[in-house]
Amino acid sequence: MKQSRSSNFVAYAVMTAMAIITLLPFISILLAALQPPGTLVSGISIPQHPSLESFNEAWTTASFGNLLWSSIKIAAAVVPISMICATLAAYALGTLKVPGGSAIFMVFLLGLTLPVELIVIPLYFDLRGIGLTNTPWAVILAECGLFMPFGIFWMRTHFMSTPREVIEAAELDGASSFTTLRRVLLPLSGPALSTMAVLFFMWSWNQFLLVLVLIQDPNQRTAPAGLGFFVGQHSSDVPVLAAGTLIVILPILLTYLVFQRKFISGMLEGAVKG
Amino acid sequence: MAANSTNVVRERSGDTSVRGSSDRPGASRRVRRARWIGYAYLAPAGTLYLLFVLVPGIHTVWLSLFRWDGVTVGKWVGLTNYREVAENPLLRGAMVHALVLITFFAGFSIIVGLLMAAILGRHRRSGMTFYRVVFFLPQIVPMVAVGITWRWMYTENGAVNQILRAIGLDSITQAWLGSFTLALPAVGLIGTWALSGLCFVLFLSGAQKIDNSLYEAARMDGAGAVREFFAVTLPALRGEIAVALTITVVAALASFDIVYVTTNGSPGNTTTVPGLLVYRLAFTGGQVGVASALAVTLTVLIIGIVVLIQRLTRETT
Amino acid sequence: MTTATRKAKMAAVGTIGIALIVVGCTPGTANPTTSATTTTAGGGISTAVPTEPVTLTLAFIDNPDMTDALADAFQAKYPQVTIETQFTQFADYVKSLRLSMSSDSAPDIAQYNPALKDLSAAGLVVDLTGYEEEYGWDAKFPKSALDQLRVDDTGKILGTGSLVAVPGGLSLVGLYYNKSLMQEAGINAPPTTVDELTADLAKAKAADITGLALGGLDYGSLHAWAGLMNSMANTSDWRDWINGTAGANIVTPDAIAATTVFAEWTKNGYAPDSANGTTEADSATAFAKGDGLFLVDGNWDAAAIGKTMGDNVGFTVFPPAAAGNKTVGTGFSVSYMLSSKGKHQAAAAAFLDFLSSPEAAVIESNGGFLPPNAKAAPPATGVQADLQAANEKVVSDDGLMAFPDFAAPAMIDSLTSGLQQVTAGRMEPKAFLESLQKVWTAYHGG
Repeated sequence: MKQSRSSNFVAYAVMTAMAIITLLPFISILLAALQPPGTLVSGISIPQHPSLESFNEAWTTASFGNLLWSSIKIAAAVVPISMICATLAAYALGTLKVPGGSAIFMVFLLGLTLPVELIVIPLYFDLRGIGLTNTPWAVILAECGLFMPFGIFWMRTHFMSTPREVIEAAELDGASSFTTLRRVLLPLSGPALSTMAVLFFMWSWNQFLLVLVLIQDPNQRTAPAGLGFFVGQHSSDVPVLAAGTLIVILPILLTYLVFQRKFISGMLEGAVKG
Repeated sequence: MAANSTNVVRERSGDTSVRGSSDRPGASRRVRRARWIGYAYLAPAGTLYLLFVLVPGIHTVWLSLFRWDGVTVGKWVGLTNYREVAENPLLRGAMVHALVLITFFAGFSIIVGLLMAAILGRHRRSGMTFYRVVFFLPQIVPMVAVGITWRWMYTENGAVNQILRAIGLDSITQAWLGSFTLALPAVGLIGTWALSGLCFVLFLSGAQKIDNSLYEAARMDGAGAVREFFAVTLPALRGEIAVALTITVVAALASFDIVYVTTNGSPGNTTTVPGLLVYRLAFTGGQVGVASALAVTLTVLIIGIVVLIQRLTRETT
Repeated sequence: MTTATRKAKMAAVGTIGIALIVVGCTPGTANPTTSATTTTAGGGISTAVPTEPVTLTLAFIDNPDMTDALADAFQAKYPQVTIETQFTQFADYVKSLRLSMSSDSAPDIAQYNPALKDLSAAGLVVDLTGYEEEYGWDAKFPKSALDQLRVDDTGKILGTGSLVAVPGGLSLVGLYYNKSLMQEAGINAPPTTVDELTADLAKAKAADITGLALGGLDYGSLHAWAGLMNSMANTSDWRDWINGTAGANIVTPDAIAATTVFAEWTKNGYAPDSANGTTEADSATAFAKGDGLFLVDGNWDAAAIGKTMGDNVGFTVFPPAAAGNKTVGTGFSVSYMLSSKGKHQAAAAAFLDFLSSPEAAVIESNGGFLPPNAKAAPPATGVQADLQAANEKVVSDDGLMAFPDFAAPAMIDSLTSGLQQVTAGRMEPKAFLESLQKVWTAYHGG
């Protein structure tokens, strides 16, 4: 069906307006970050003498390098561990059909709606009791636990959509359950696994409340938590604060731009199927 | 055709395992072992989930029955903390504010998303990848970064007022986050900004899956564009709307990052939300029991609303 | 469907069962920690610094440059000691430190804030009485500064009991004024009484100048109100209330009068309308930019303000209610406490003693603080000189008053939200004070 010129124009006009509104905050802090440190910036203003000095200041004075490294360390542990555990469990629930599997799956599904607020209080006090607070492991293990519901749901859906014959053929050939998983199912799961990986990376990177509660040592905080703490000290130095904000956003932004299709399709599919 | 292939298989491997595997002597043990080995696969995920989600969740419920400052011995008080949640104006206020945020996070975002999906229609257009990437951006970056940016934009001479002055609306400019009446809506609008794009992309992808024949039928009944939307598009998007509602409502109720970084409850506790108070009460206020009760109440509310949304949308399909 | 529901229920029951077994006990410990408040950890008090290499961690919130400089100077004097500094912003410091002092990775030395005073009762902070005697701190630090750092053994009342921290740099809140704007408004000299200050604010308004640079978004414009309380409320009653002395009450006629003056200032437009939407730091920036005749703020911003305004800025004590009254100024110290979980207490205590040394005095002065060892303070010019003069006056009048939020851990939240409402005319002074008293009573009892 032919789209009329005017409706096409309206469509693009509306979307462009929305895009500008969406991008405006990012553009304004980028402009602010390009100002020299200490400049009094109030709103959107084109820097007269653009400089990267504020980024340097944010990186060194507030040791954002450390913060990024902590975030990376945690994500580097969370993503593989969660993926492996979720995939194994999803295999059990989706393919192996363990007894009581549907009940177990429902218990996992419950976790999809539980807010982080429900678990932070005891997590803090209990982990403190065994000396795990102020270590990345507290955050890593907690995040892995939190990611199980989505991971299991996601991979289970994927495994269940694999044709039964393929699995049975492997079983007939005498394959153990593990070999079936490794040689037959996983090679077919590339897209599902990589989408899950980028989603886990994003959720781990952006986690704030959990890190705020479990880690007090400034040297071990992750980037968003560090940013939250940073605000007070430099809240009058807008360019440095803006630069710090951008530094925190940059890794996840770059990952997003490279893998954008996976991010978007993952979030959409995950949401709809849930 | 399926029957033929199984016959072939049976002939090839010389057994009847497809249906009668349990008939063969060693097979039943193998099947049983295969089914129980599943638990081994479940163990890692199950342990993580149990230890770091389920047990803490139940522990919170347990803690909510005590009066505890986090250091010395706690005292059993039963359901007193829940009464506190219902009666204390500060705590009740936080729940009310969360509900207000739903209007902005969920209501406005979904309306904007639907409106844009309606304007775009079902036509596939070029360049959508770019727009999709842009619209999803607010969902990708940490909420803390979003909050810091908007807090700066809402100041007296910040970007928001700059734009208002540029379009001649000088009279309503103010330090938005300092207003007792408008700070909460201001925070709410941040949520609208962050979630509208997601809703739009969701609805658009759903709309593009609608069968053309439905539209043709409507057109034959003489429906114009608006009626088309309400009669065909909207009902077909029921599933997507349910998803959008769930995501946005949970985001509003469980919000913490955005409020902590923009107003921290100011001015005068008009922007407090349950998440913020849970943090404040448990870790500075030394009222772990009340904080736990608040967390449990919040969780029950979230689960209740999610179930409600699912029920409402399932009934009519 | 019923089988699945039944299974789900069984799963749920099973999970809860496991959880309760893991969890089921009354929260909290009867005997909080092993090392009690007595200082004999490490075997006796000695002023000798250990000779083997030692690493100490120091957690702090104020002035990274100064803290690093103090650490460096100490390390220069005792090369075998390494100090690692950790900075956290104030709003999160109290929560953070509360959580970390009870963990095994507690810092050896931590900046003290009275919101943390209960930690001493829980045995997490070293009682410094022994060191106080050995090192002779009574002679090296001002009495009123040390008294602020005493806590009783319930961990709730300040001003009496054992010493828990040592001051590194004294702070003082007072009145900054913009000299050129003062002239513009037709004022000859900084105000010497509260009434004069109110009159000056009115003159500023008449000359179309912002009278008071105020920022309430984060702490509710606390300093301006505290200044009025210092001047107008009964000093010993006010001090008792902040210290948590039994029976203290803040709902008194003079306190209501002070709060009313504060409310009137904002009602009459002496402060910007955007006050509640501006942070304290931003209000100081606005003042430095020339937007505001007066600013009630502490010496910690003196360096930044002085750099921007140069000779155009002056500092004076917040005026008393009547001429000739004793000067009372909100002030505290950047002080440091020792964790009882620290393994190198002798070395850490040596650092505390170092804070009174002449080398430290120079660093503290440069950091914008008033050194506890006033004799060793380097001569200063400009607004720094004003600060030292103001400080000497307050100290000699024994008028150092701690910050109001010290009264109870949860007090800061009520102060912030209450003052924001008073600023906006949404809460009556009496109701505000009553809300504070409620929090006070919930914590202190009675």
